[in-house]
Amino acid sequence: MEAQIIKIEAAPRFHEFWRTFRKNHMGLVGLVMLAIVIFVAIFAPILSPYDPSSTHNVTTSDVYNAPSAAHWLGTDDAGQDVLTNFIFGARVSLIIGFFAAFISLIIGGVFGIVAGFYGGRTEAVLMRFTDIMLVIPDMPLMMVVIALTKPSILNIIIVIGALYWTTTARMVRSQTLAVKSRKFVLRARAIGSGKGHIIRHHILPLVLPILVVQAVLVVSSAVLAESTLSFLGLGDPTALSWGQMLNYAFGRGAMSTGAWWALVVPGFGIVWVVLGLTLLGQGLEQVLNPRLDTHHLMPGRPVVRNEAGKGVEISNEQNPLLDVQNLSVNYVNNGKPPARAVENISFTLKEGELVGLVGESGCGKTTLMLALLRLLPAAGQIVNGNVFFHDRDLTTLTDDEINAVRWKDISIVFQGAMNALNPVRTVGEQIAEAITKHLPGFPRDQRLQERVIELLDLVGIAADHRDHYPHQYSGGMRQRAMIAMALACNPQVIIADEPTTALDVMIQAQILELLDSLRKKLGLAIIFVTHDLGVVAEMCDRVLVMYGGVTAEYADVDIIYNGARHPYTQELLKAFPDLTKPKKKLSSIPGYPPRLDALPIGCRFAPRCLRAIERCHKEQPLMHKLGDAHVASCHLLEATK
Amino acid sequence: MSKDNFLEVRGLKKYFDADRPSLRFASREARYIHAVDGVDFNLRRSEVIALVGESGCGKSTLALLLMGLEEPTSGTILFEGRDITHLNDSERKDLRRKIQMVFQDPYESLNPTQTIEEIINEPLVVHGIGSSKSERDERVKKAMEDSGLKPAEVYLKRFPHELSGGQRQRVVIAAALVLEPEILLADEPVSMLDVSIRAEIINLLAELRITRQIAVIFITHDLGSVGFFADRVAVMYLGRIVEIGTMLEVLEKTEHPYTKALISVIPVPNPRLRRERIILKGETPNPIDVPAGCRFHPRCPMVMSTCKASDPPFVTLSKTHQAACLLLVK
Repeated sequence: MEAQIIKIEAAPRFHEFWRTFRKNHMGLVGLVMLAIVIFVAIFAPILSPYDPSSTHNVTTSDVYNAPSAAHWLGTDDAGQDVLTNFIFGARVSLIIGFFAAFISLIIGGVFGIVAGFYGGRTEAVLMRFTDIMLVIPDMPLMMVVIALTKPSILNIIIVIGALYWTTTARMVRSQTLAVKSRKFVLRARAIGSGKGHIIRHHILPLVLPILVVQAVLVVSSAVLAESTLSFLGLGDPTALSWGQMLNYAFGRGAMSTGAWWALVVPGFGIVWVVLGLTLLGQGLEQVLNPRLDTHHLMPGRPVVRNEAGKGVEISNEQNPLLDVQNLSVNYVNNGKPPARAVENISFTLKEGELVGLVGESGCGKTTLMLALLRLLPAAGQIVNGNVFFHDRDLTTLTDDEINAVRWKDISIVFQGAMNALNPVRTVGEQIAEAITKHLPGFPRDQRLQERVIELLDLVGIAADHRDHYPHQYSGGMRQRAMIAMALACNPQVIIADEPTTALDVMIQAQILELLDSLRKKLGLAIIFVTHDLGVVAEMCDRVLVMYGGVTAEYADVDIIYNGARHPYTQELLKAFPDLTKPKKKLSSIPGYPPRLDALPIGCRFAPRCLRAIERCHKEQPLMHKLGDAHVASCHLLEATK
Repeated sequence: MSKDNFLEVRGLKKYFDADRPSLRFASREARYIHAVDGVDFNLRRSEVIALVGESGCGKSTLALLLMGLEEPTSGTILFEGRDITHLNDSERKDLRRKIQMVFQDPYESLNPTQTIEEIINEPLVVHGIGSSKSERDERVKKAMEDSGLKPAEVYLKRFPHELSGGQRQRVVIAAALVLEPEILLADEPVSMLDVSIRAEIINLLAELRITRQIAVIFITHDLGSVGFFADRVAVMYLGRIVEIGTMLEVLEKTEHPYTKALISVIPVPNPRLRRERIILKGETPNPIDVPAGCRFHPRCPMVMSTCKASDPPFVTLSKTHQAACLLLVK
């Protein structure tokens, strides 16, 4: 609970929020449960069968009457109708719950925001005070305070409110700290905004969702606290809350006379409200923090096949190591037609070869790579094509068989090395783990340590860095460590997914040089995924240009840079700065890649293509073979074939 | 006022405490991170200067110092001849209208709960500019259209998450332009964007310096991305400028070994021009323990014995071109 920080990506506008919340069953049930109680409380005079203040005509025979037609839930120790008291008790309990929660949220919110925002001494004083409040047992303190003052509703509200804010303060403080360090706050300062303005416009809107969730939970704690106090005889004697009902029933012989209704009914009320509020709080949290539901541990979907591929035969290579044929991947999209993220991609990879996979973000590059190893997220599904590795089709293997291929034959170096390394274990341990996990028979003695050192040496990390943690490594070294892990089982193919994107040019050059030397030394075949055309020109043998999930052009590196035929490749090259032509004006490609769930009917590049003709908007172009190792999919190439 | 002293930076230094003061033992000497360690340069009106260097060279700290978001340890910053190194809040606030900043990550630098209109209008509200709503709306619209968010109405009510990276960066630029600044500090404004979109943003900045006479300080680790539009280039290493000159001087008459290495590793998009790269070993040293003598000597491929002892002075190579290297001292 403590350090939970909600990262709010989208603005929680009400109707959008409601649309998601409606689908959250737990939250909805909680909301309905709460709404019923609120309804009952508001319309108590209309709903209750008797007037709660009438005390006349009560005789001893009316005490603890079992449920009957006149008294549906029986009568209590004073001969009063339990149902009536229950309905009016909802009023007292809810009023105390809501107002106490309101006070506690104000105190907690102000403490949390001020401490988080101002930091330093202010924070130290406020948070130490909060810690002290947190360790004082609130129930005994509340009892003492209430006993010393008059036990009125107002006093109870104030005491509960003044004691139940500590969790709120701590959560708000950690959220404020997280928001404060975000760049838009720095930008607000750069604009000239004062502190008050920043708190009102930038901190508060992002802390608010936490306060909403917290509010719901505090209301339920306050209802419980009030019931406990009343049960202990410290409730307001003039107001009959559910706790007070329990207190009277318990203290005045309901147990001994077997009058269960006098105890069960108010108890049910308390449980109902607390349960409803808890469900609502859980639901709100799931809606406001949707990341709770996404992780990388879901099983993949089975491979399905539909129609045969319709691309041209590309591979006339002799014995390629990896031969990908017409691979297609869909993302299942609740109710809507699936997103065709990758369609009919074919390419081959020979031993020691470096193939570049280029395209803008959202072009399906990463999806394609994950599909090769069947590591797609839960919504992704291979719907067509084959991936031959040494003549074995990876798409037909069982889960256990593909597991044996992953890492040992084909491994992946991911983008963003910091996130891919475990921060609490040393780099050496993690490399050793990669070895033993995939090669269970590997001796776990000195030889394992030697292998770790050998791998580190291979990627240019000195052996004494073995026992360091990832945070002690620089960005470049972390990426080297990731490469060492990928090499752990002597794979034949390495997929490098944007391995240098977040790195400086000098470090990028070091990593590229390393990959190139490994390829020569170990005969590795590498698939290099990037959006950086310069890097591709520096190292790759062949290049696959992807656009919107399909192959735009696939050729030897020299053809791509000096004889590209697809308009997308040509435009991409024009957008790339070239230091050898410093005065060249860069052009950009207008527009953005298509959304995969709203692909154009014809050529996927047509909406942005300067040379698109009518046909391009209607018909998807076929792959045209333009040379020995050169294919492109564009209608304009048909005539010139 | 001569055109030369529009913005002047003299001996600017920023040292951060390397340890938390409370953790420092009485006996131990204070250690400092020499983030910016004596930077001098000037900026002319509507000039574009590129500040280039690897991460950890102090270029982002320099930007924060120029913006007044960090207090310099020593040195002076003069804007139109006026000392703006240390200002109180209200003086600083007025100055902010003249100097604005564009941040690296357009995903992080916009508040996700504000609409585009609120984001771009906010600087006007903060500075109390515009007497009526319609006047402010007019300025917001103009800033948006100048930033390429056309037509403005399409974007006004949207939220940042509904826009692409390039569009978000345009929003950040529009929110800076709405104050009609004279200097725009751009800290790696394109490094998080796709290559196809980078050109758009760079071309936009290039356009602004012509249409609005804005001077741009473009901070980047990738010389390749600014080569064609910067007038001058300053190369930073470990808190100092090591070479400064016009763009062509730095690119084609490179003198400092560090600049040479940096240029050699910029990928050239043509496999026929694959060339020898000068790949420096290791990474920028920790700015707590700055090497004695020339601070580049431990990584320099052309290091001489004298480099370990004496800090090289700036050698003037032409009226506009200077470099700090002992190889150039005759």
